[in-house]
Amino acid sequence: MTAGTPRNSDLGDSRDEIPPGTLYLLILKTLAVRGKLHGYEIADNIQRSTDDILQVEEGSLYPALQRMLIKGWVTAEWGITSGNRRARYYTLTTAGRKQLRLEVSQFERVMGAITRVIQTV
Amino acid sequence: MSLPGEWLRRLQMLFHRRQFRSDLEEEMRLHMELRQEQQIEIGLSPEAAFSAAHRKFGNTTRIQENSYMTWGWEWLESFAQDIAYGTRAMLRSPALTVVALVSLALGIGANTAIFSLLDAVMLRSLPVREPQQLILLGHGEDNGNSDDRGQTDLYSYPFYRQLQQRNAVFSYTAAVFSVLNAVHGTVEGRTEAEPMNVQLVSGTYFPTLGVQAPIGRLLNDADDNSEGDHPVAVVSQAWWKRSLAKDPAVLDRKLKIGSTIFSIVGVAPAEFFGTEVGKAPDIWIPLSMAQAVPPGWKGYKDNFSEALYLMGRLKPGVTTAQATSNVNLLYQQIIRSFPDANLDQRNLEKLSKARVPLTPMANGLSSLRREFSEPLQILMGVVALVLLIACANIANLLLARSTTRARELAVRQALGARRTRIIRQLLTESLLLALVGGALGVALASVANRLLLRMVSGGLDTIPLDVSLNTRLLLFTLAVTIATALVFGTVPAFRSTRLELTSTLKAGRSSQGTGGKNPLARALVVSQVSLSLVLLVGAGLFLHSLVNLNNVDLGFNKENVLRLQIDSTSAGYSGDTDSVRELNLYHQIEDRVSSLPGVKAASFSLFTFHEGSWNNNVIVPGMNVDQNIDVKHNIISDGYFATMQIPLIAGRNFGPQDTATSQHVAIISERMAKTMFPSGSPIGHHYYIHDVSPENERVVVGVVKDVKFGDLTEAPETLDYYPHTQYAWDLGDFEVRYAGSFTAISTTVQQAIHSIDRNLPIADVTTLDEQIARSITNQRLVSQLSAFFGLLAVFLSCIGIYGLMSYVVSSRTQEIGIRMALGAARFDTGWLVMREIVLLVTIGIVIGVPITLMGTRLVANMLYGFQGTDLASLASAVILLLVVAVFAGYFPARRASRVDPMVALRYE
Repeated sequence: MTAGTPRNSDLGDSRDEIPPGTLYLLILKTLAVRGKLHGYEIADNIQRSTDDILQVEEGSLYPALQRMLIKGWVTAEWGITSGNRRARYYTLTTAGRKQLRLEVSQFERVMGAITRVIQTV
Repeated sequence: MSLPGEWLRRLQMLFHRRQFRSDLEEEMRLHMELRQEQQIEIGLSPEAAFSAAHRKFGNTTRIQENSYMTWGWEWLESFAQDIAYGTRAMLRSPALTVVALVSLALGIGANTAIFSLLDAVMLRSLPVREPQQLILLGHGEDNGNSDDRGQTDLYSYPFYRQLQQRNAVFSYTAAVFSVLNAVHGTVEGRTEAEPMNVQLVSGTYFPTLGVQAPIGRLLNDADDNSEGDHPVAVVSQAWWKRSLAKDPAVLDRKLKIGSTIFSIVGVAPAEFFGTEVGKAPDIWIPLSMAQAVPPGWKGYKDNFSEALYLMGRLKPGVTTAQATSNVNLLYQQIIRSFPDANLDQRNLEKLSKARVPLTPMANGLSSLRREFSEPLQILMGVVALVLLIACANIANLLLARSTTRARELAVRQALGARRTRIIRQLLTESLLLALVGGALGVALASVANRLLLRMVSGGLDTIPLDVSLNTRLLLFTLAVTIATALVFGTVPAFRSTRLELTSTLKAGRSSQGTGGKNPLARALVVSQVSLSLVLLVGAGLFLHSLVNLNNVDLGFNKENVLRLQIDSTSAGYSGDTDSVRELNLYHQIEDRVSSLPGVKAASFSLFTFHEGSWNNNVIVPGMNVDQNIDVKHNIISDGYFATMQIPLIAGRNFGPQDTATSQHVAIISERMAKTMFPSGSPIGHHYYIHDVSPENERVVVGVVKDVKFGDLTEAPETLDYYPHTQYAWDLGDFEVRYAGSFTAISTTVQQAIHSIDRNLPIADVTTLDEQIARSITNQRLVSQLSAFFGLLAVFLSCIGIYGLMSYVVSSRTQEIGIRMALGAARFDTGWLVMREIVLLVTIGIVIGVPITLMGTRLVANMLYGFQGTDLASLASAVILLLVVAVFAGYFPARRASRVDPMVALRYE
């Protein structure tokens, strides 16, 4: 499972790459918390909730969303934004929630392991 | 993650991909605009915000493509593009495409058709339970001598019963009558008799084969345990359909055959055609009823009426070797134990030498196989060679084409096309060609195998044989051609995509694989020429052989003779029980037909030509001659020699003086006269057929010229003729020598016969000439088809030569231009091309000749009338090839000689 490889931004801001494999987790979690969101809102939300540390590349976001549509983790439908524009809103499905739990536990296991390594040094 | 759901979503996306693209685009545009607004909010100018947003977003097209590719359909799209492009490329050079497709279609079609027939005749297993356990006693030959002890192909009914009880190796033993009884029977309730092929079998026949009845029951041993008591019949699915229109109440129907009413007890499965390939019985009747089925075999209780094939199903674990020793032991014991066995010195000697070979019967019996297995194998070889030539052609055409496209490919590469992408495209194009050709081939094969079956049937009713396409071979042939197309379509693709782009672009058409450096294409042309030579010489040999067969001296005049068969036994006549009545019928028919206008002579006979034989050993008192010579007998009416125009050499013809009560007489053939009566005239001499007893004594009254009797290639036979007045027998053959139109005579003759008895079934109305032609159906099949394929091979090779040379000329235009500018004559430049063609063809011929000579030896059996290599065939094949090759090369050569030096040089 490869989450599109985030490329180094050329804006020069102090921004960190999203760790490989965690893009799905971030999108799933964001949708779980916020409900219905369109693409820009997902990216914006991730950026805000990480205090601008993690920035989602559009180049990774859209292919990732397509993959999640194929997997059936999310569904998409057209709606109207607060600014009265047409936007495609993504919603989490039951399969998506299940996947989120899976990804979270996987991430925690890996994180715990890494933390243990760091602390022993 | 349910997989089906995932694929469903992917498929939905595939069908709405236009919608998908516009959705994605709109979604990303919104994203960009929102980003831009956000930048303005934090204080950037609209222009700066716009460019920042764009920078941040990156290449939108690329993101779209990536998103799109996520769904995994891009291969399909590019495949569709390649197909469309390939189709356009094929249509741009229609001549090349047509040639390639025709080559493929003929290669695939011919191979599949011939193999399907070969498979049906030789390879396919019987549709019965575990056919590999079935064993036949003997080789399945059906012409034994009725006097010989120790023959091992046909057996008597009592022998079958003895073997069945005493053997230790078969779980089942069954007997089959060695010929089909072609009778005319009537479905009860109808008035018209219809032809029916009856197979007499032992009651154990169906249990041995393990065949089950879909309707009713099949025969069992109880139907066969007492003679004459079981008038039951099993009908074939085909007959049930044809004659009873699939009547569901088939088990209530009855058949009248001869004078017996048979009850239908069951219908055999659809796929079951009996045990002889190419003979599909309509009706199976137990051997216990043999006497009731015309012509009424009386051998049910006769220890030495040997007319049955015997087969057994091996017990599990028993080997063929064990079975052979058990059967041979019993064979000697059973035959010697029959009380009426004639165990004289000669018979004992023969018997002690007799060995019963056991033959696997998994593929069934077949006289068709004996006749056609060799021709079909030869034809299979021929079409395999044609396929090779066709493949070489496709290879050549694709090579030539890809080389001329080198520049196009270079341009595409320069514009950024990846190498793999170009190779994939060329692959797709070759595949397209191969598949379209393959589809045409399949279509051709399905027509061709019906045509082929009709040719094999030789003018008679189509042989009942399932020749549906053989899928395995079809797939194999398709694989071969597709592989050829792929290999030869892409080898150049690899080569041309590796090239130095700049040099190709600069040098234009002259750089790639110029004329001088294309050994592969040349090798292909050389091999095409060699193979064509083999096929042409083969065709020449077979045609020569066929001409020889047609010119064979028959000993009788085959022109203007109508012959037909009258099934008098089915109409209730019998030479056995009322010979006077049957003889009267024959006389009446003969008289009435003879007096018809246009009829010169008419006669009855037991045989005419190629109809089997009835033979015995004869004993000539006082002559020291080989007693083991088979003499073949014919029974004839007085007009036979006149009708057939067989010249009488000595003595007299049969006449009214030869009656049932007068001295039994015979007319013998020249060969018999020389063999049996080497000294002096045979006229007036006596001899005995079978054994020395008064009723078997004959006196020679005449000698006639030798005739061909069994087939066209036989040596003169020892034949004798008996008058039908002295030998009561149901003579089936009726011959009429006529003048004028066959159709008119045929109608009036049949009307005349029916005016005497309107119930007489008449069958197989044809000419004697046609009957003789039928006997060489296999030779005709081979020579016609090999001639067709030989010419086809030459045609394909010419196209190969033409294609190669055109290509050579166009790629050497520059060189030719320079030569001409330097003063070469037009003739020389033309010769430059012709010289190459002649060289290639000569090499091809030099390689081909030894192959041809070896091949000739393989088919020696099939040739008639000349020994070893036929120089005429070889020479004419070589000349034909040279002429045609030069013709094919003429056009490119002329083009070369017309190159304008200025144009050629300026082009660069």
